[in-house]
Parts: sequence; structure tokens; C-alpha cells
Amino acid sequence: MFDRDIWQEIYHSISNNKLRTFLTGFSVGWGIFILVLLLASVKGMQNGFTLQFSDDATNSIFVRTGTTSLAYGGFEAGRRIQMTNDDIEYIKRSFPNDVEYISPRVYQNTSARYKSETGSYNIQAVYPDHQAIEKTIVNKGRFINTNDLMNASKVAVIGRKVEEDLFKNEDAIGKFVEFNGLPFRVIGTFTDDGDDNAERNIYAPTTTYQKMYGQTDHIDQIALTYNPNYDLTEALAFSDRLENVFRRRFKIAPKDQSGIRIFNYAEVFEDISNFTGGLDIAVIIVGLLILLSGIVGIGNIMVFIIKERTKEIGVRKALGAEPWSIIKLVLFESVFITALSGFIGLGIATGLLAAIGPSIKTGAFANPSVSMSMVVTATIILIVAGVLAGLIPAMKAARVKPIVALSDK
Amino acid sequence: MIQIKDLHKSYKMGKNSLHVLKGINFNVEEGELVAIMGSSGSGKSTLLNILGMLDSSDSGEYILDNVPIKDLNETKAARYRNKFLGFVFQSFNLINYKSAAENVALPLYYQKVPRKERQEKALKYLEQVGLKEWAGHLPSELSGGQKQRVAIARALAAEPKVLLADEPTGALDSKTSYEVMDLIQKINDQGNTILIVTHEPDIADMCKRIVHLKDGVIIEDKKIEQVRAEQYV
Repeated sequence: MFDRDIWQEIYHSISNNKLRTFLTGFSVGWGIFILVLLLASVKGMQNGFTLQFSDDATNSIFVRTGTTSLAYGGFEAGRRIQMTNDDIEYIKRSFPNDVEYISPRVYQNTSARYKSETGSYNIQAVYPDHQAIEKTIVNKGRFINTNDLMNASKVAVIGRKVEEDLFKNEDAIGKFVEFNGLPFRVIGTFTDDGDDNAERNIYAPTTTYQKMYGQTDHIDQIALTYNPNYDLTEALAFSDRLENVFRRRFKIAPKDQSGIRIFNYAEVFEDISNFTGGLDIAVIIVGLLILLSGIVGIGNIMVFIIKERTKEIGVRKALGAEPWSIIKLVLFESVFITALSGFIGLGIATGLLAAIGPSIKTGAFANPSVSMSMVVTATIILIVAGVLAGLIPAMKAARVKPIVALSDK
Repeated sequence: MIQIKDLHKSYKMGKNSLHVLKGINFNVEEGELVAIMGSSGSGKSTLLNILGMLDSSDSGEYILDNVPIKDLNETKAARYRNKFLGFVFQSFNLINYKSAAENVALPLYYQKVPRKERQEKALKYLEQVGLKEWAGHLPSELSGGQKQRVAIARALAAEPKVLLADEPTGALDSKTSYEVMDLIQKINDQGNTILIVTHEPDIADMCKRIVHLKDGVIIEDKKIEQVRAEQYV
């Protein structure tokens, strides 16, 4: 099939029409180049999104309560829903297999002071589990532990920015810092990859704040992570179950959106993957359309070549060339030009991505790259494209009547 | 070798149909050298096209080497052409990017003869037409007469039953024409059957038989005393 004669003819045909072949080949190469870059960009966006959210545990769920907007279960609208420590225990009991880590959050604004430095910060009063939920990186000292919680110790884990602001060049660990006038011992500092604002946070034990402010067991929010083995569907099903249980527990109308809000990261990921999936399809369509113009170009050049070689094809047929051998000749040439120029475009695009892709990391865009499967797909597309481009010209060539060889015009 | 009975062919030209061949009957024996003569429009080209399986007849019989030639599809026609016929054209029709040897080997390529054997055979036939030293040259480096000799070698290479030549000397000066005719006569001497379409009487006289066509019928079919081309070379 791939004997020397066919290669010789392809070589001859190409070298006779160098510029024309180059220009058409260029359009196919360019098409593939653009297609690969576009797909890589979508991948880059995907990577960027994942990177942004991977700061928090991606299997986390946040439960917030508010004021009901609908009358339900004998209660009027406008009732304030307040979660307590009991709700944590209740979730643990109700979903022993679903919940991985769980922690309440009690929010408190505080003005902090160390020596002459002061600043205003947010304090989140949490359980030790919170470290795993928020993926807090403790770089000095330690996080809040169970003892702190049981003793309602006045200890705090402060963000890197807080340490910078208040302690300047001093080491904060073991020092006492005043929160609203009450001394807390700094037991650890943390950093956060996500953003600088997170490093302006302060963590303290939940019990400490509950005791300090009115001996309540109120909590503002529940943060939890679910079984990391759950896929998207299972994750969404779990948060649905959780929501139903809470609505029953607090007698909130099923459609009441302001009484309770459950935020599941899985939903965000579902949205993102839907979004990038849609983008992928759009990009593939655009890329294929660009490629199509290249295919038409190759088809065009092949028609031209055949027109030029009509007589030669007639002679070949008179000498006994079967239609198939003529079709083969045209198709091979078309596939060869398409594949070769496509591979060049593919090579340049993947080379470019390999060279500069890893260094790109800005906001929602990181490491644009192509997968092996994409390269294989592109190759198949190219060969199919070559066949398509050659098909009509090849049929045309096969229909050439050998009589044209005899009629000397 | 060739039997033709009551061959008719007409072409549709819009509403009118042009009756080109109006019942042709003739036979060619093995080893004959036949000239088909006639003015343009006499139907000689159409007859050659049908003989060459490049066109089909409307009615009538065509038997070539005891094989009835009818109902040919493209592929079958190509195989028969390859097996039975060798063509020599007025304008040589060599493939300009292939060397003389490659041109001669082309019909063998379509017979799926292995490459090495093709090359050997091509050289053998080039030697027969006296152009062995020119095997590696491109057609553009050859003179008109040399080109036609390469074309003849190409027609012979497939070892066909019949050689069909359409005005083989039409594009050559008289001296070269005679050289080519000399070659054709020598090939005929070896027992090959050859049909030549020509309108030049001196070329026709170098054949062994002249078939004269006019307005789609044979008006004359005579055996003649062959004029040897050798004496003019």
C-alpha cells in the first residue's frame, strides 16, 4: 500500500506546488494550533478554578441559619433560627457515616491590642476539627485542641497578618494579646494559601466565647466535611438529606430560602465543571470550524492538482490503472499534506504549552496543558480531515475518462 | 484476434443524435499490421476508442482474443486494457516527472509486478527500442522520436495482445516518423498485432493492410504490399 511509487508521486506533486501546498498546509496547521491552544486554555481555567477552591477542603458544607420568611408548622414568618451546640451533636449522631469533620463557628469582631499596637479583627470560635475543614496551615505553635475546648481556655491561633501587624518582629507564640480587653495567650500562627484576608483571622475555642458572652450555647454556623469518597451525586444527595433534617428540626417551610442555607462546595464544582464542559464544547466547535477552512483549502488544492493532471490520469487509466488506484493516490496525498501540516501545528502548540504553560499561574488561570487523549483525538481528526478533503477530488479523478488521453488538445 | 460485427455508435448532441459508426464489420488476425485511415469525422477515432475499451458501442459485437468485450465497468475495463492492449499516442503522453524506465514500467505497476522485475523488464524493452542508455532520463531530455520510442516500449512492456497507435507519427517530422515506423514494423515482424490510426498515406503504406473509413462505414479494406521504412532511415 505504501510503496515507493506512491511516495514518489506525492513528493513530486508537493515539490511542484511548494507554495500552494505550504499555504494550504499552513491553514490546517494553524487550525490545529488554535484548537489545541483553545482547549489548553479551557484546561487552564479548570486548573485555576480548582486551585482557587482547593484552599478549603473541597468536600465541605456550611450550614447557616437566618430568619424565616414563610409561616410554617404553627409559627409565623420572621422567626429567628438559632443553632446550638446540640445541633453539632445531632448531626454527628444522625450522619455517623457521612460526616468526616465538623465544627461550629461563632463569629465575633474584636479589637486586639499587643503593647502599643492595636487592630480590628474577626474571631472565629471553633472546634479542633476546624483546622481540617479550612485546611489551615499552622506554621508555628499548634492549633486549638480538645483540652482548650473543654477548659474554655483563653487561647488564640492568629493569622500571619495579625502577627505581622501586632507583634512586628517579635515571636507571638506564648505572648498575651488583649481581645476587647481580655488577655488571650497566642498558641499558634497560621498561613493561608488562599488569600491574605484569611490571614487576618483569629481562631479561638468555641466554648471560651460561649462562656465569655452570656453563657450561651449559640453558634452562628456549622462547617463540616463529608466522606471524601463521595462523588458529586452522593455529595449533593447528602447535603439534601442534611437540609431536610434541619428543616424538620427547626420547622422551616421547605421552600423557605432565608430560614436556612446549606452551602455545598460540590455545587460550585458542579457549576464549574458544567461551565468548563460547555466551554470545551464551544471551543471544539470553533476549532473544528477553523480546521474546516483548512480542509476546504486542501480540497481546493487537490481539485486544482487533478485538473492539471487530468491528462496524466487519463493516460494512467489507458495503461490499466483501476479507479481505486487513482483514488488511493489522491487520498494519500491529501492525508499526507493534512497530517503533516497538522502535526507541525500540533507539535508547535504542545511545545509552546510545555515550555510556558507551567509558568502561567494567575488568578483563575493555571498551567494550560493538553492531555495525551487530546493529542490522539487531534491526530484522528486530522486523518479524517485529510480523507474528507481528498474525497471529492479523488472521486473527480476517478471519473476522468481515459479518452482525454487520446484526444490531443 | 479481433472480431467486430455490426458495430454502431451514436452520440447525443442536444436533441439530435449523431450517428458516427454505422455498422462496422471487420476482423484482424494475429500478427497483422493494420492502418485505419479516414478524414476527420469519418469515425476512425471513435472506432479506436471502442477498440481500446475507452468507449462503449451502442450495439454490435466486439470480441478480443476470444473474450467478448461488453458490459464493462471501469475497474474491469481497466484490467482488460492492461491485459490486452498497449496504447501509443500522438503526443506520446509520457509522465513528465518519471524517467524513461519508470514510464515503461508503469503498466507493469498496474499489473502488480514486483518492483525489481518491473525495472528489469523496463530495461529490456528500452533496449528493444534502442534507448537503454536513456533509461534514467526524463522525457523532457528526450527528442520527439525518442519519446515516441519510449512510449512504444511502454506499450510493449505489458505484453499486450494488440497494440493500438493513434497517429503515432502525427507529431513527428518525416525522418523521425520513418524511424518510428521502422520500429513498429520490426515489432510487427516479431508477431505482434498492431492497429494504427493515421491520415498520412505514406504511413499507411508501411502497413500490411489499409482499412478506409468514411462517414461511419468501411468503404475500402485491402491488403497491400508493405513499404519497408528501413530504406528511408
